[in-house]
Amino acid sequence: MLVTARLRPPDRTVEVPDVRRVTDLLAQLEVLPGAVLVIRDGELLTGDDELRDGDRVEVRFAISGGG
Amino acid sequence: MPMRCKRCRGKVVIEVRRHNAAFCRDCFVHYVRQQVSRAIAKHRMLAPTDRVLVAVSGGKDSLGLWDLLLDLGYQADGLYLGLGIGGYSDRSKDLSQAFADARGAKLVVHDLESEQGYTIPEAAGAGRLKRASPGGRSSCAVCGLSKRYLFNRVALEGGYDVVATGHNLDDEAAVLFANTLRWDTASMARQFPVLEATRPGLVKKVKPLYRVAERESAAYCVLKGIDYVVEECPLVGGNTQMRHKETLNQMEEASPGTKHNFLFGYVDRAAALLRAADVAELAECSRCGMVTQAPDDPAEAPVCAFCRTRARLVGEASSGGRTLPVVSGRAGP
Repeated sequence: MLVTARLRPPDRTVEVPDVRRVTDLLAQLEVLPGAVLVIRDGELLTGDDELRDGDRVEVRFAISGGG
Repeated sequence: MPMRCKRCRGKVVIEVRRHNAAFCRDCFVHYVRQQVSRAIAKHRMLAPTDRVLVAVSGGKDSLGLWDLLLDLGYQADGLYLGLGIGGYSDRSKDLSQAFADARGAKLVVHDLESEQGYTIPEAAGAGRLKRASPGGRSSCAVCGLSKRYLFNRVALEGGYDVVATGHNLDDEAAVLFANTLRWDTASMARQFPVLEATRPGLVKKVKPLYRVAERESAAYCVLKGIDYVVEECPLVGGNTQMRHKETLNQMEEASPGTKHNFLFGYVDRAAALLRAADVAELAECSRCGMVTQAPDDPAEAPVCAFCRTRARLVGEASSGGRTLPVVSGRAGP
């Protein structure tokens, strides 16, 4: 079981083994769920959504420092 | 058992923990629209016939706000200000223009370098040298100052009734947090979802997204298919606002609703008290004629922060007189 996660910004890609749900993935990445969106094939995923072997997801940080 | 949409019991695409709710795609878009409509109505931000100028950066908040105002039926043009931050500015402008073209909306474009003689990276260089000296500002401070000044001026000269900015709940909570840590009561008194045009030379400013969290704003763009600049401004890394947002998000994670309660409590209960105590006197800048804070010494000629900063960056000679060339930008389709 391996999921490829593209994190941005800044743009980087990591492979994460043994994660069944989005919540597990974010915990492994040590990312606060309230600070990101997780996107697969253009669709938003929630923490409970299941991940599949070979999934490619984007973990998009929603925080910006402008304003 | 999987979560179901709070409104229609459909498949959930996003949780909003501060409201103990989750929504499907359509109900989430409805929820965001409702938050914006509520903000506009509660603070009488916009009248149906107002000409609105939306300050757009190519980011999620400003493009999302423009989309929402157009969907709600407002006459809303966009204003893009080129900051000269290399490829980042180019991509931001392209995405703003692409959005305008797709929606058949008008984008007004201005440029700091060609019209004012400096770029934000140049200001950042000057800031490193002069930050410790009186009048020295960080690049983010010069950027914010330039935008506030030029948004007002372009709106004024273009005959717009209101300037709308994409400040979201997290932006406002972070600014309030910073001001509270310093007990900067003067800045707190001026932080509010709407700032009326209290005298000639000032255009009304509104923040219709102040009830929408930053993550919700990003989700709105993803769900509506709005292509925005995901990359962060290269000059912003690790700035104070980012650090404050991270701190607030840690608190939010442990106790959902913290940011909401902090900001809305201020807006509903404390802001009026601080505004009543704010005694800032306003005057006309002796160089550009725009409104600024009156100097303590009545014998001193008032000079606004934008003219002082611009003079520091491009030289005193070019900032003299009252004919600052501001409005020469082109209007989009």
